[in-house]
Amino acid sequence: MSRAVGIDLGTSNSVVAVIDKDGAPRILTTPEGATTLPSLVWFSPDGPVVGELARAGLDYSPDLTIFGAKRLLGRRFDHPDIRRLSRVLPFELVEAPNGDTWIALSAGRSVSPEEVCALILREIRRMAEDHYGEPVTRAVITIPAWYDAAQRQATKDAAQIAGLTVLRLLSEPTAASLGHGAHRGADRRYLVCDLGGGTFDVAAVDVEAGIFEVLATTGDAFLGGDDVDRVVVDNLVRDVRSSRGFDITSDTVAVERLRLAAQTTKHELSDVAVSKVYVPELVQLPSGRAVEYHKPLRRDELEQWSASLIRRIEAPIKEALKRCGRKREDIEEVLLVGGMTRMPAVRREIARVTGREPHVIPNPEEVVAVGAALEVARLDGTIEGVLLIDVAARGLAVSMGGDCEQVIAQSSVVPTREHRVFGTRHDDQLRIEFDVWEGESADPAQNRHLGRYAVLDLPPAPAGDVLVLVEMTIDTDGTVRFGASELVSGERLQLEQLYHAGLARTEVLRLQRQFEEASS
Amino acid sequence: MAGPRTLHVRCTTWEQVEVFHTRKLRRGKLLSMRVPFRADPGAEVTLNLELPNQVVIVIDGVVLKSSPVETDPKAARSDAGKTWLEVELVGFTEDVVARIRRMAGGGDPSGEPAPAPAPASPPPRARTTGAVPVLPGDELPADERLLFQQLTAELRRVRALAVHEVLGVARDADAEQIRRGWMNLIRRHHPDLVARRNAPAINHLAEELTILANRAYDRLRVALVAEGRAASVGPALTPPPGWLVGFEDISSTGSILRSKLAQTLQSGGNAPQVEPLARPPSSAAAEGGEAFEQRARVMLGDGDSANAQEVLAAALCVYPRSRPLRSLYYVASAISALGKGEVMLATSQLETALAHHEDCAEAAAILELLRRPNTPPGSAEMTRLFR
Repeated sequence: MSRAVGIDLGTSNSVVAVIDKDGAPRILTTPEGATTLPSLVWFSPDGPVVGELARAGLDYSPDLTIFGAKRLLGRRFDHPDIRRLSRVLPFELVEAPNGDTWIALSAGRSVSPEEVCALILREIRRMAEDHYGEPVTRAVITIPAWYDAAQRQATKDAAQIAGLTVLRLLSEPTAASLGHGAHRGADRRYLVCDLGGGTFDVAAVDVEAGIFEVLATTGDAFLGGDDVDRVVVDNLVRDVRSSRGFDITSDTVAVERLRLAAQTTKHELSDVAVSKVYVPELVQLPSGRAVEYHKPLRRDELEQWSASLIRRIEAPIKEALKRCGRKREDIEEVLLVGGMTRMPAVRREIARVTGREPHVIPNPEEVVAVGAALEVARLDGTIEGVLLIDVAARGLAVSMGGDCEQVIAQSSVVPTREHRVFGTRHDDQLRIEFDVWEGESADPAQNRHLGRYAVLDLPPAPAGDVLVLVEMTIDTDGTVRFGASELVSGERLQLEQLYHAGLARTEVLRLQRQFEEASS
Repeated sequence: MAGPRTLHVRCTTWEQVEVFHTRKLRRGKLLSMRVPFRADPGAEVTLNLELPNQVVIVIDGVVLKSSPVETDPKAARSDAGKTWLEVELVGFTEDVVARIRRMAGGGDPSGEPAPAPAPASPPPRARTTGAVPVLPGDELPADERLLFQQLTAELRRVRALAVHEVLGVARDADAEQIRRGWMNLIRRHHPDLVARRNAPAINHLAEELTILANRAYDRLRVALVAEGRAASVGPALTPPPGWLVGFEDISSTGSILRSKLAQTLQSGGNAPQVEPLARPPSSAAAEGGEAFEQRARVMLGDGDSANAQEVLAAALCVYPRSRPLRSLYYVASAISALGKGEVMLATSQLETALAHHEDCAEAAAILELLRRPNTPPGSAEMTRLFR
């Protein structure tokens, strides 16, 4: 069997881990030697560039450099969120024929978020193949625990395009607890606080007798290290104006250089109290002379600037505890995940809100990927005594033109299956059409449309004589599949997808072939 | 050569037994090993398999192949005088496997056939602390065919049971008992426990059994909540505000909008409640869309472009392919933009509207107004278009 890896496909950074022969997890490095791969894709004139090298694209062509593609996976273009997002993103969002959100490249071409994620996954696959020296075709990929079926399917499609078979989609808080080694310890009630580059996620995870269960998730979708960077850059731009007398607000290249320097300084300030921001060539004067920028920065300055951001940590933690009906004393351990939790001010704030000293993991950026790699080992049977329980984040409903009828309830344990029986409404009816929705409301307008299906080739009979049993299965990964049969005879019936969210199967296969050709 | 030789294999844990069975033993009951004596093909060999419960099972075998081990000069230890043997374990019959399996399942130490199959509901497990418990799933038979038969029988049995019987609990069991029963079941049958075998058929059976267990668990929990004996059905996993597409924003825009939507659907009357099968689907979509469209037009006529936009956005969730709705949405958005004085944005929105639906008269009309040299179009002129 070919090799498998564990992948933390993050909003801003991705990490890939494997389990070595001796059972120790190992984080793979990018060709540049870094352990995290920025989830950035630059559609440069010479073809797509992924990772650290794509940062150059932020300078040259911000409209062709896609970041945060994970936010766009499996989402509808009409949604107000996407409208808000499209106003602030430097690249343009467009609507795909089926209503999904795609990204317009200025060459008159558009790509789906799945393809962008597939490019990142292909890069990860290369890293893994460089490490092993042999093909890698299987992976465990982590996703937010609350991902709905469309988003899960989109993640799977992205992996398939990149030539990776998904062994399991693993929820990030579960992966973090697994990577932390919760399966080796006693039963615990964990609170996982994941503050990464772009998002803050809080999850309550219970480990009982080897069974992992995520009880509640909340977070802040727009809070992370990037926001701290932005605040710092804003302050530095102001400083440039007051100390040097010129305004670089509109100079994207200068701002980007400042951002990179500020990011390095921010990392340094987690360990030392004083550091400095240094940009060798901030702008060029009309004379051609380069202007150097140099500013000492103290940790307390940084903390003062980001204080308003750090205060936003409190509300999601309290909300998560409320949702699982726990008091903060019930939590037995607080896990810190994500690079931003290295910041002392963040740790202090989390300790204050949870009322206990958080558990400091030496590698907060990598622990989710380690969990994914351990999941590979678990599925291979190397780790025993652990079961990870997932629930359906959204209910599943069907409608035939009118109100939605709930079929699978929210928080049902997966895998699960339910069925509905549809009867023909007029004589010799040949097909029955129905819509599938994700959500809990009877009103279709408040649910997410997953697709419209038709049961074909019904036998001719008087109205109501043909009864069709439609089965909906949510599998262990949380993705949905359908089957239809004639109720009386039990005969399998053909089911056609008239419309559905996400990429079509043929499209996924076409892209997969295209990717294979591009790699070989 | 003096009598049959005896080999001793000692397994201290049941996992080792399983590894011996699944990994070491090849198809056709062939066992390859390195032994410190010489044996000719055809010679008889006895294998003493010592199980973790100190029971020794004697298995007869016949040597099929024998070849001296080549001494590797690089290897420090001497392999000289050792022989590779390939032994066919003729005595390793299904009965023996079944006997080992019974012992592994915690049956009587002698491994004699049990009088009745073990009930599916082992006694509730106490909350363990410290060591990771051994899951019963690890004690499933190692032999694929046996496992398949066992799972098939189990599936047939469980399918015929009522939900509380599936979990092995009383009809009026409380939340804790239900949870224990479910945990015991998924510890036996979760597909992850058999994933390593890479056998699709077994995986499928395990998934089916898990589906039955999960369904029973969910139904009993829902019943408990309905009886008021439990607070909530299960975990509520929700994205951080603003992450997910589809419903949340529409429902959070306030009760006014929601009631307006409800009115729209009711006053539109003809659309959603009508039997859709009697018509082709496209017309169904268009008619339903019209109800929304009318509502939005009334709003636009009142100069309320912001709410019209929200209504249309909601409508587009239901009828994503309706061109009139989509173009009207862009028109509404353009009017909002004009209200803020953003002429450029408005123009591009109107052009988008026309791109979606060429016959959108309003978009064309407002564009015409925008091209007028001096005065920007007033809101009165635009609202008049919709009356």
